[in-house]
Amino acid sequence: MKLELGNFHVNDIAFGEKLEFQNGLLTICKEEALNFIREDDRITEAELYIAKPGDDIRLCPVKDAFEPRVRPDGRGIYPGYEGDLVRSGEGVTYALKNCSVVVVGRHWGGFQDALIDMSGEGQKYTLFGELNNIVLVADTNEEFEKREQQKKNDALRRAGARLSEYIAGCVKELEPEDMEIFELEPMIKRDPEVENLPSVVYVMQPQSQMEEMGYNTLVYGWDCNHMVPTVMHPNEILDGALISGSFMPSSSKWSTYDFQNCPNIKALYREHGKTINFLGIIMSNLNVALEQKERAAIFVAQLANSLGADGAVVAEEGYGNPDADFIGCFAALEDAGVKTVGVTNECTGRDGQSQPLVTLDEKCDAIVSCGNVSELIKLPPMGTVLGELEALGRDGCSGGWPDDELLGPSVKPDGSIVMENNAMFCGDRVCGWSTKTMKEF
Amino acid sequence: MKKAILYVNQFFGQIGGEDKADYAPEIKEGHVGPAMEYAKKLDAELTHTVICGDNFMGSNTEEAVETILGMLQDREFDIFLAGPAFQAGRYGVACGTICKAVKEKFNVPVVTSMNVENPGVEMFKKDMYIMQGGNIAAKMRKDVKAIVTLANKILNEEEIGCAEEEGYFARGIRRMVWRQDEIPASERMVDMLVKKLNGQPFQTELPIPKLDRVPIASAIKDLSTAKIALVNTGGIVPVDNPDRIQSASATRWGKYDIRNSEALKSGEFKTIHAGFDPAAADADPNVITPIDALKELLKEGEYGSLHPYFYTTVGTGTTQAEAERMANEIVPYLQEDHVDGVIMVST
Repeated sequence: MKLELGNFHVNDIAFGEKLEFQNGLLTICKEEALNFIREDDRITEAELYIAKPGDDIRLCPVKDAFEPRVRPDGRGIYPGYEGDLVRSGEGVTYALKNCSVVVVGRHWGGFQDALIDMSGEGQKYTLFGELNNIVLVADTNEEFEKREQQKKNDALRRAGARLSEYIAGCVKELEPEDMEIFELEPMIKRDPEVENLPSVVYVMQPQSQMEEMGYNTLVYGWDCNHMVPTVMHPNEILDGALISGSFMPSSSKWSTYDFQNCPNIKALYREHGKTINFLGIIMSNLNVALEQKERAAIFVAQLANSLGADGAVVAEEGYGNPDADFIGCFAALEDAGVKTVGVTNECTGRDGQSQPLVTLDEKCDAIVSCGNVSELIKLPPMGTVLGELEALGRDGCSGGWPDDELLGPSVKPDGSIVMENNAMFCGDRVCGWSTKTMKEF
Repeated sequence: MKKAILYVNQFFGQIGGEDKADYAPEIKEGHVGPAMEYAKKLDAELTHTVICGDNFMGSNTEEAVETILGMLQDREFDIFLAGPAFQAGRYGVACGTICKAVKEKFNVPVVTSMNVENPGVEMFKKDMYIMQGGNIAAKMRKDVKAIVTLANKILNEEEIGCAEEEGYFARGIRRMVWRQDEIPASERMVDMLVKKLNGQPFQTELPIPKLDRVPIASAIKDLSTAKIALVNTGGIVPVDNPDRIQSASATRWGKYDIRNSEALKSGEFKTIHAGFDPAAADADPNVITPIDALKELLKEGEYGSLHPYFYTTVGTGTTQAEAERMANEIVPYLQEDHVDGVIMVST
């Protein structure tokens, strides 16, 4: 399967008369774009902003982020979610690089919602502090969940997905500045030189713990809670087959942007044919009940053996309960003779003294660690807040609180904040971006 | 200039060897023994040296600690240093004990140094910076230098790096750090993977502690003739806590006679465990150590006999190493009395 990603590098974004891309400048006609957003009559209020690295801007409550993309042949970029259900991962897709569409609640946040700072001390905590962001701040009529801690955020997340495709529409007829080629031959028909290299699968455990539909990661629009592990081509992940869910405390979350650009997949691609034979993806999930966890681990290990994998990488989108899926799957692969490396974050508490994962196994001897969800972060006020900062403390955000006997409220009257890393938007970057690690003190 | 005080044992305090190990605490103005080496590079004036015999500290811990705290009471100091203790077990434990007490009482930073084999490391590494030191006194200069380097960072209010960088024993704290080299997780993952696949050495970023699994004992064949003992980590002690078992991070245990009690009475027994609300256990200690039920079942012939003592320590914060040592001290009493089964009550 061959995917050609045609890249357009966005150096700057501005509002203007019409949507266009020229010499690195992305211009957006705000009214037209907002009218497009308002086609979904659930959207009651919407505004667009631009937030660039270095801006004195704080975003909160952030729901999800998307890389603007379009397919010149007319297929949708999120098949089965927005647009027809067709296969992804092959053909040509155009992408606006160094740029993302970020969706922020106008008022209401929830458990999984989070924060981005575009400059200052807080900027380094999330990748999105380094990107040119088109920020959609909106509210909806989804009254049923307005005051719920767990929100599906369906209207907002769909608005972000739609907007990302709408904006990329301006490059549909243009020549990409460069092309990235992602091509993997069928697993069993490769060059002998490649086949002599140790073969590797990448096991993904996207978030799927909610029993009720509407909160979990989607694969081609299908709820990942309703599947057993299966084999996928890495190109499908890079090309919009997965849509991020709305459940996980945010530093552990993989945004849709993260799936589209997954660094772990790209790193394995780079090694393919040199040090490893990259077989592909085993798409697993995260479950609540022990039997579901064990079933998924059995499937993953069996698939790895059936595919002839010598090695595997397991990455989990979560912490706490999902650690049991992560460790269980890791151990099952080792028991099946597959040499495994894990990628995860940890929860060692505000004092750093708690057990890093809820369950441990000596077989898990190779782990890349990307951060501590409960690390305390104190940040000064920012000049502009897009959204509503109160959501950090008021609405049950996993990294914020209304009050605390030692720390006071998360949101101070002057706009400074104290929060756990949990509320940093996709902060731990277990999908591969993380330049953080964990050390003993 | 900031001020520092140093603790050394009788040997390094130039009092004498093993024959002087009972030497009671003394404080001397100025530099004794290794204090000279400390003073060379320390960013503080080392004003006093405290000297105490290792046996005195070991056998009369409470008295030794109180005396020394009294000596320090009216002195100004910004940091307290001890050792280096090398592999000397009693000296290491003494350094740890006094550093912990000084830190708690005066809220000043403390630094010491021990060899990895020193039992004081396991007992005190969570409470303070213990530099990873040499095994013999020939490493004195190097070990003192290490203590001074870290002490200076503390005195100058510089950020203290991770255990690996600074050379102290990890204190059971794991924190998030940004890598200076900015190598992303994806590249670290590939590097680890390729090494693991090729059988080359690699370093995990999350070391999994070795689990010390104890095989499950075989079942008691005939309970009606079996001798049963009761052990607990819930801190049930006579109200005056005669063994001075600590309320957390315990290093002591006690053994209490139950031959003549039909049940433990409130007011005679209580819990000193700091990890839970004591109200229920103080009102009725049998909720943790069910002597009442055991005596009743004994009368009914449910089991053969009851070991005449129950054993107590406190589980909260207690290190695995300490727990193991205490178990090894308790077990001979149980074996001597041919106990067949133990009820182990945790809280």
